Amino acid sequence: MSAFTRQALVVARRDFTAVVATPTFLLFLLAPLFMILMSLLGLTGAAQIADTSQDKMRIGIIAAPTDGPFLVDADARLRTMLPREIQPPKLDLIPEHGTNGAAVAQALLAQPDPNFVAILYGPLEKPTILKEDGRRSTYLATLAEQALRDRKAGIAPGTLLSHAQTTDRKVTTASASSKHATGYAAVFGIFFLTLLLAGQSVGMLAEEKSNKVIEILAAAAPLEAVFLGKLIGMFGVALLFVSFWAGLAGVAIALSASFIPLPPIAAAVGLPAFLLLCALYFTMAFMLLGAIFLGVGTQASTMREIQMMSLPITIFQVAMFGLSSAAAGAPESGLARFAEIFPFSSPFAMAARAANEPEIWPHLVALGWQGLWVAITIWITAGLFRRGVLKSGPGLLSFLRRKR
Amino acid sequence: MKTFGGTPAVRGVSLSVPQGMIYGVLGPNGAGKTTTLRMVLGIIDPDAGERALLGHADPRKVSHRVGYLPEERGLYPAMKAREAIAFMGALRGLDWATGRKRAGEMMEASGLGYAVDRKIRQMSKGMAQLVQLLGSIVHQPELIVLDEPFSGLDPVNQEHLEALVRSERDRGATILFSTHVMSHAERLCERIAVIAGGQRRFEGTVDDARGLLPMQAQYVPCDRGAEAGALLPADARFDGRAWRFTVPDGGAEPMLLSLISAGHGIAGLSMQRPGLHDAFVRIVSDAKRADAEAQA
Repeated sequence: MSAFTRQALVVARRDFTAVVATPTFLLFLLAPLFMILMSLLGLTGAAQIADTSQDKMRIGIIAAPTDGPFLVDADARLRTMLPREIQPPKLDLIPEHGTNGAAVAQALLAQPDPNFVAILYGPLEKPTILKEDGRRSTYLATLAEQALRDRKAGIAPGTLLSHAQTTDRKVTTASASSKHATGYAAVFGIFFLTLLLAGQSVGMLAEEKSNKVIEILAAAAPLEAVFLGKLIGMFGVALLFVSFWAGLAGVAIALSASFIPLPPIAAAVGLPAFLLLCALYFTMAFMLLGAIFLGVGTQASTMREIQMMSLPITIFQVAMFGLSSAAAGAPESGLARFAEIFPFSSPFAMAARAANEPEIWPHLVALGWQGLWVAITIWITAGLFRRGVLKSGPGLLSFLRRKR
Repeated sequence: MKTFGGTPAVRGVSLSVPQGMIYGVLGPNGAGKTTTLRMVLGIIDPDAGERALLGHADPRKVSHRVGYLPEERGLYPAMKAREAIAFMGALRGLDWATGRKRAGEMMEASGLGYAVDRKIRQMSKGMAQLVQLLGSIVHQPELIVLDEPFSGLDPVNQEHLEALVRSERDRGATILFSTHVMSHAERLCERIAVIAGGQRRFEGTVDDARGLLPMQAQYVPCDRGAEAGALLPADARFDGRAWRFTVPDGGAEPMLLSLISAGHGIAGLSMQRPGLHDAFVRIVSDAKRADAEAQA
């Protein structure tokens, strides 16, 4: 092992241990749990509110007794065709008394409980629908039409004329849209993880600068090795975090697989290669963006400056995500090629490419290219730190002048 | 040569440190001592000039053979003392296990055995400083560079540190340290360089430096009178009992003979070289005067 690598690993080991062996790491590790719990609580609350309000809502039909069974039967059939989320409110049949359907409908719409949002009255051949402003009347109209057709055709309610048999066909090739969706999911997943984890590298040298350890490090090892070590240490922490949550997610998926269908993962390179490439691209995204953030952070002299830098850093990350998302949606476009080549969007865009295109060799080239840019970024940021903070060598302007 | 923001910090310091020696770099505050050491170690690069550390132009190539205690002490506060020492050794190529083992032994030998597993933040400044020093020598380097190692230490710990420096020299290490406290340099250094205004103003042994100033004499006449002053050099001062003066270039004998002849006699006479402190003040004062004249 070269001295450079050994020194980088010594720094990485120190940083990893310093982060992991603290009580705050537990908080960091479990932070998503709080987020999940709060989201679940929020969702449950929102669902309860929605359900309560939905339960009180009704659509009504003031119908003659002879039409009632036909309407109920048609309602049952039509509802099965609609997903639960877009089903209309529960149907109430109101027996027709006299001919003043309009007045009854008006009265029903005015009452608070049950909350009628639309009432159909009159003969099914020419019904009138009275509804709240902004509501659609299509369902009640279709219901009347269907019930009338059944009655006129003499089909008794509950009668099934056609008995369909369903056979599932195994899908062997993924559709383009499912590949796009997988690509987009990969881009989002890598972006989310880097946003969550790589941004922390911005303050990684703050401790060394504040307690003067940087002098010890700079005297013992090249700054490039120190920077690389810090990135590796932080990546180790990120890996621990991701492994922990991936493990939990795996258990949750295994437990719920029987009653919650998994979305299909369609990757052109095949699932194992796709997962491996996603892991490698996450590594590269973390190292590339982490190196930039580390470099930016080292130029800050106070915590306030570091905090001020978080906004442009987040904007940069989001810009890379936007570029790569657009590339995932249009895999063979010029924009996609640009995103795949531009070093800081390349890991995201290439993950999307793995979902959309089957060739493996471009990924090997891309990983090499991204690795090169990790080295270049570390070299540049270490150089800036050496000149800007340690005041080593001639100033940047005179250095450039001399080079010229 | 090194300039910070247009201000020259080091304008030309030529040093050569012989192997196995305790070498002191002396200078007033802001003289350029720390900058010189940092350039030698490769922490910063010079704007111009050449450097060689243990024979290598690139100091990084030999960083595993060098130990360094910076002027601004720095340790991770959450680290335990043993781990901090092992970490500093690991940075210089020592494996962690050996580093931990040696750390325990060295702390024991330094009287800090009870604190091996204490966190740095729980230690006093002097203890932490000693831990850092142990960290800088745990890998048994050939060259040990100490920047103002005695600052912030109480007299007991200063004694301790002096003993440690001597024992490292006895092990065969070369020690290069900077200070502006002359007593340490006088006791420890076999050779010194004085830096002032970013330039080397003197290089040689402590005796060479002291030899820059003439001998001082203290003369007590038999008649205890002040009349002997007429036969003494112009700078002679009488304190009511004895005369003090600089021994003239031709030596003290002719003057003493004339004193005896004049009947003053010699009740007491002592002659001594000035200390390093006086030599240092003289060298630095001369340097300031020369710089001022050059600027004018």
